[in-house]
Formats: sequence, structure tokens, C-alpha cells
Amino acid sequence: MKLHRTVVVLLAFAMPAGAHHEFQTFVQSHSGRPVNCALCHTSPDGPEGTGAGQIGSLTEGERERLNRARAAFEPSPVVDSPILNDFGNLLVARLGKRRILELRSKPELVAAELGFANDLDGDGIPDAQEYLDGTHPLSRHHGAPLRLFWHELRAHAFQVAMLFAATAITLYGLISVLRGFALRLQAHESGDAP
Amino acid sequence: MSTATDPLSSRVARFVRERLPAEKLNARQLLIEKEVPQHKASWAYYLGGLALFFFLIQVVTGLMLLFYYQPTVSDAHASVAAISEHVAGGALIRNLHAWSASAMIAVVIVHVLTTFAMKAFARPRELTWVSGMTLALIVFTFGFTGYLLPWNQIAVNATKVGLQSIEALGQYLPGELARWPTYVRETIQGEPSVGQATLSRFFALHVILLPLATVAALGVHLLQVQVHGMSRGVDVEQVKTERFFPFFVIKDLSVWGVAFFVVCVVAMCLPFDALLPYPLLEPFNPLGSTPDGIKPEWYFFFVYYPLEILPYWVVVAGSTLVLGTMFLAPWIFGRTSRRTLRVLALGAAAYFLLMTFFGQTVYEILKGGQP
Repeated sequence: MKLHRTVVVLLAFAMPAGAHHEFQTFVQSHSGRPVNCALCHTSPDGPEGTGAGQIGSLTEGERERLNRARAAFEPSPVVDSPILNDFGNLLVARLGKRRILELRSKPELVAAELGFANDLDGDGIPDAQEYLDGTHPLSRHHGAPLRLFWHELRAHAFQVAMLFAATAITLYGLISVLRGFALRLQAHESGDAP
Repeated sequence: MSTATDPLSSRVARFVRERLPAEKLNARQLLIEKEVPQHKASWAYYLGGLALFFFLIQVVTGLMLLFYYQPTVSDAHASVAAISEHVAGGALIRNLHAWSASAMIAVVIVHVLTTFAMKAFARPRELTWVSGMTLALIVFTFGFTGYLLPWNQIAVNATKVGLQSIEALGQYLPGELARWPTYVRETIQGEPSVGQATLSRFFALHVILLPLATVAALGVHLLQVQVHGMSRGVDVEQVKTERFFPFFVIKDLSVWGVAFFVVCVVAMCLPFDALLPYPLLEPFNPLGSTPDGIKPEWYFFFVYYPLEILPYWVVVAGSTLVLGTMFLAPWIFGRTSRRTLRVLALGAAAYFLLMTFFGQTVYEILKGGQP
């Protein structure tokens, strides 16, 4: 077991900081939704390159943050890699880099190991569930449609009730005005109008 | 009754007099004495008003979005994101705009099919029908032009595909005509590729030209509807009627109230973007690869999937034939029974539903893989 861990750690340092396509492949086949590297990375094109959020564009300070994050082989309270987004950093912080590398062969276990308590975007859908659904864990406007709908409906129950009351009252008022006009017209036609 | 020996000018004058009878152009005839038939298909009479109501929501929410939206390739996506994230009520207004657009198009489609099935285009309602078909075309163009405005991956790539399909028409045209589709595409696009000029043109079309065209066509349509009343719509000699004012108007308002409540709840609880994969919602990157899953909006699936499955010329010829037939329905189907029209409308509805909900499956069965 110790040897296995050592090999994983050595491999992790030796490997380039590429995105792990095993997770992307699993999420796409499980959810039926296309996803890209922006699920966990800052750049949708992954960490390698010279674009914003990619290794080639990092400043000296960001490189130091990257190196600190790369050393997080075991779970740690805070991971702040500049090439990862908040969800990616949460994954490394909760699982540790070593476990993430191990999970590349079992990407279906990521959600269970991450747990369903975190909701970074506050849309009511746990991050682990968003991973399974192939939706973005950092956008409160993005989630599995039915889950999002029921959560928002519960969250906005008061506003929905007020909207119903406002619509009903406005309709009642408008209909009463129309009926009044109609009665007035009828009275005018029959010569009963004052 | 016109005869073939009458001079053309006299026949045109008679046609116009019959469609715009001066004696009916007063409030009493248009509003107070108007009667609406009542029968088992009366629900279809509310669809036109419902489409109008959704259009009004479009106008109000569209005007609100105009205060914040930036029609430039550098800022369009960021301004849309800012509307959703930072403007008070912005997400609700944007979702209302998106959901009511889809609702309007859905209602317009059902309205076209039901009026066709009820033979509501028959004399003297030809102008009602033609102006209605014009409105339906405008509504679809609203959808096409509005799709580009958020300037995200799906918006730009789907627009590119749409514009390329116009140019592809050239290969089937002879001689100098073969270049015309390219001229059309370049005119719409405004530059060699979809870019700032395209966005500016689509924006101008979406917020100025199309709304003006809608007001014009809607004016003719509503005037014709009020002058000639609702078509009887069924093969029954004696149908009950109710007064348009106030009874039908009250019911119409109630339908609007229910629609308003439903579309507001949906807009409040379900962001329209949630229906799309998130990579398609990222800002358009001209240097990046085209992401998977680029498709037009659902209301173009009835022509999108056939384009992916059948030869291009078959779809273009079929679409042109169907569109021409629909515009000329009052003259082509003038003697056709309502029963036959109902069967045709049901067939069209079944095709539309099949392509909208199962187009992907149909494609996979016939071609295998993703389009």
C-alpha cells in the first residue's frame, strides 16, 4: 500500500498538470450532457496553454499558489490553485490530489466521496449532484431543470403566492370594470341610463 | 359576384370593399355587436389573443433589457451575464423574455394549425390569413435574430450554420442566380464571417425593423379579425354565439391572467439557460473549437433535423412548397372540406411534435451518431 502511494505521488509530480478527461468522459456518459474542462478548471480549454487561467499565463505569485496546490496530496482545509475554479479547488481540498488521481479509474465514486453537503453556487443542488448531472456547480442559473425548478419554487413560495394574489386581484378588478361598462352600455341602449 | 369579364380594376375594388366594408368600420360593429361562435373547438379562438399577450410581454421585457444590453462582440456576453447576476430583477426579466418568446412561438404554431383546420382562411378572411402567416414568419425571424444576441458559443455557431445553409442554396441555382444566396448571406452577415457587423444587423432587425413590421401586420390582422369576426370553424349550420364584449373579452383576459401567472412562475423558478449544456453558454471564442451540441432553438427542429437527414435540395424544395401553399391556402384549399383540413393539420402537428421531441432519436435511427 505504501509503495502504491509512493508511486502515485511520484507520478503526480512527474505528470504535466493536464485536465483529467476520465472525469469528463464519465460525466458526459452519465448525464448525457456535453461538459468541458470548465467543470473544474479556470479555463474551459484546460490548464495547459497561454490563455487566461492557463499555466502559460500565470504570474510569479500564481505559480507559487499552483505549486502549493500541487503539494496537496492529502485532504487539506484550503487549496487555492489558480488553474482550478472553486469546485476544482474544493475537490482537491476534500479528497486530496492522491485520491483524485486514484479516482480517475473510478470517476463514478467522486460524488459519493465528495459528499452532498456542499453547494458552492447556492442553487439548492449539491455540487456532487451537479457533477453527476453534468451541470455547472458554480452557476446558480444552471442545474438539472427539474431539480432547479422544485428548489426555486420552494425558495420563492411566498413570491409565488403574492404573484397569484396580485394576478387574481388585478383580473378581478379588470373584469369588474368591463362588466360595469357592459351594464352601463346595456342601460344606455335600453334608455334606462340616468 | 365577380365574373371573368369584369375589368381587373373593378374586381380589385370589389375584393377590397368586401374585405374592408366601410359600413362595418365603427365601434358598434367592431366591438359591441360582434358575436363569437361557441362550440367544442371554441378554445382555439383564444390562441390569437394569447400570442398577442406573449408578444406584449416580449415588448415590455425587451425594452427593459435594452437599458443594459450592449450590442458589441466584446461586451454582449458580459452585459447579458451582468443582467442576470447584478441587475435587480434582471434574471427574472431575461427569463421572462426567453420563456415568453418560446411560449409565443408555440402558441403561434398551434394558432396557425387550428385556424387552418377550422378553414378560417375562407372568403372573406383571406387577408386575415395572409397577414397572420406574415406574422408567423416575423415571429420565427424574431427567434432567429434574438438567438445571436447573447453572443455565446451556441448563439454564434448556430447562426453560422443558419447563414451557411442560405449560401448552400446557390449550388442548385443556374448561372448568375447561383451567386444570389451568397449575396443574401453577405448582406445579412455584413462581413466575411459572423462578427460585429452581423451582431449590429441582427440587433437592428430584432429591436427596430421586426417590431415595426409586426405592428403593421398586426394592425391589418386585428382589423380583419374584428371586421369579419371569428370564423364559424365547424361544419354545423346553427352554432350558439356569445357577445364579444364583455363576455369573450372577460374570458380572454382570464386566459391572459393564467398565462401571465404560469410564465412568471416558470421564469422565476427555471432559468432558460438551464436547458442547455454549460459549454454552449460560454462566451464565443473565435479561436476555439466548436463545442458539441450546437443546435438551433427547439422551434427550428422541424427543419433542422430534416436538413441533417435528407439531401439539402429536398428540404429546401419541400419547405418552399409548404410555405407557398400555406400563404396561398385561401385559394388552394378554398373548396376543401374541413374534415380534410383537420387531417392535414393533425398530420402537420404530428410531424412537428415528432421532430421537436424525437428528432434526435429519428436522426440516430436513420443516420447513427450525433448530428
